[in-house]
Amino acid sequence: MAIIAWLRDPNPASRRQARLGQAYLGWLRLRRNPLAMAGLVIIGLLLVLAAFAPWLAPHDPIAQNLQNRLMPPGTPGHLLGTDDFGRDILTRILYGARITLSVIALVAVTAPLLGLIIGTVSGYFGGWVDGVLMRITDIFLAFPRLILALALVAVLGPGIENAVLAIALTAWPPYARVARAETLTVRNSDYIAAVRLQGAGSVRVIWGHIMPMCLPSVIIRVTLDMAGVILIAAGLGFLGLGAQPPLSEWGLMISAGRKYLFEQWWVATMPGLAIFIVSLGFNLLGDGLRDVLDPRSAGK
Amino acid sequence: MALIEIENLSVTFTAQGRQVRAVENVSLSVEARESYGLVGESGSGKSTILRAICGLAPVSGGTIRIGGAPVQRDKAFSRRVQMVFQDPYASLHPRHTLDRTLSEPLAIHGIGDADARVVQALRDVGLPTSFRFRYPHQLSGGQRQRVAIARALMLEPEILLLDEPTSALDASVQAEVLNLLARLRAERGLTFLMVSHDLAVIDHMCDRVLVMQHGRAVEELARDDLAGARMKTDYARSLFAASADRMLTSS
Repeated sequence: MAIIAWLRDPNPASRRQARLGQAYLGWLRLRRNPLAMAGLVIIGLLLVLAAFAPWLAPHDPIAQNLQNRLMPPGTPGHLLGTDDFGRDILTRILYGARITLSVIALVAVTAPLLGLIIGTVSGYFGGWVDGVLMRITDIFLAFPRLILALALVAVLGPGIENAVLAIALTAWPPYARVARAETLTVRNSDYIAAVRLQGAGSVRVIWGHIMPMCLPSVIIRVTLDMAGVILIAAGLGFLGLGAQPPLSEWGLMISAGRKYLFEQWWVATMPGLAIFIVSLGFNLLGDGLRDVLDPRSAGK
Repeated sequence: MALIEIENLSVTFTAQGRQVRAVENVSLSVEARESYGLVGESGSGKSTILRAICGLAPVSGGTIRIGGAPVQRDKAFSRRVQMVFQDPYASLHPRHTLDRTLSEPLAIHGIGDADARVVQALRDVGLPTSFRFRYPHQLSGGQRQRVAIARALMLEPEILLLDEPTSALDASVQAEVLNLLARLRAERGLTFLMVSHDLAVIDHMCDRVLVMQHGRAVEELARDDLAGARMKTDYARSLFAASADRMLTSS
């Protein structure tokens, strides 16, 4: 209890206490939002499942057993059934969570960061810098994302790492647009003028003063895009340019199950459900995170 | 030699091919440790002069000299000249704590001992040191303006540009902030260049005042002339008449 009082102290004595106190208040704000907590629980559970997949999974994810192919869910020993090579679907979903989550994590960090940097630089400097960067953004936006990612993977060679790179390189333009719009609204404000008057360089102004104002709207976009990222990764896998068989990636599993969709629906549906649940978790969490990141909502 | 010398300053804004001359051929000079006022109605170009000194407005003609040398907006300039903005609700970063806001100038200029300096700065402007880790939204307007003043003084400048520092505040808080500014000026030997549309505020704070209208200088008055209502131009007289009753009550 003493530690809670220390965290909630309205007049913290040190920078560290103030920061931890803010984090605690953020946690309280998040906890008040039941939907965001549901999202957090889903993501947390998934992380645990992915981390302990080798111990939790009942079978080997790539061991084939053609006698047991296409068994329906509920078959003894195969809770979610088996696929067309007789591999246990539950096992493959658990192992697939590792790949899918690492793809999401890498894309969710790199693409928004790239977009933020390009958008804020473009909005802050304006003029020809803005012109050049925004035309590049336009070019990227003009292509359908999947086609552009395909072209990149075709150049870089198939594989999960190159798929991540391709997705990140095609996902940043919307973030750049959002960040630029936010930058334009704050760059002429007095607090930016004040810090420039104190002799701050452009890097300090953009990184320390403009980016924090752009972050909330970018985070919202990221969480909304997560489902799309999973699907693009799946699409690349389906076309043989992402994760390679026999690796168990969710998108790959869906495309493999497509052939049997009408007779053996579970082969494609089970990984589809997994994607649905993860997307839902990210969307719920993202909405709650926006509230946490805004210190002004503390009093509400 | 005067500390701030402005000669024939013109500022022209260009928007959508249309040119607006916000300031035309204004000259003024401010002695060291003097408090100089700029007064006029909205749109008379008084704030634009301050922004032009800071490089925030496009100068189209004339010269600005500080300490005899033409201004260069480098780090040395920011240690010499600082500004307090009109609206304390817009001039503090909403996502930064007061601690961050006040220690930022120290970090930029590589000045050490930030903790002690921030605490001292809060004390100097009459804020409790327990406010140090608060956000601007947790403060009132008057408290925010005190923070803005503290921030402007972090680099220990000799010149403070004040852009209507009290017009966004209510009357009782206005007086507190003005008294704080007067005290800090006396303690630190600051030079003020202060903009206001309110002659009562100027009368309280300034040794000399320049009356402006439509971007041009109308008349320069010493404090005695202002108090004795000895104006030469009709415009200055009408401006005086508008705030005369409050000046009498305040003095």
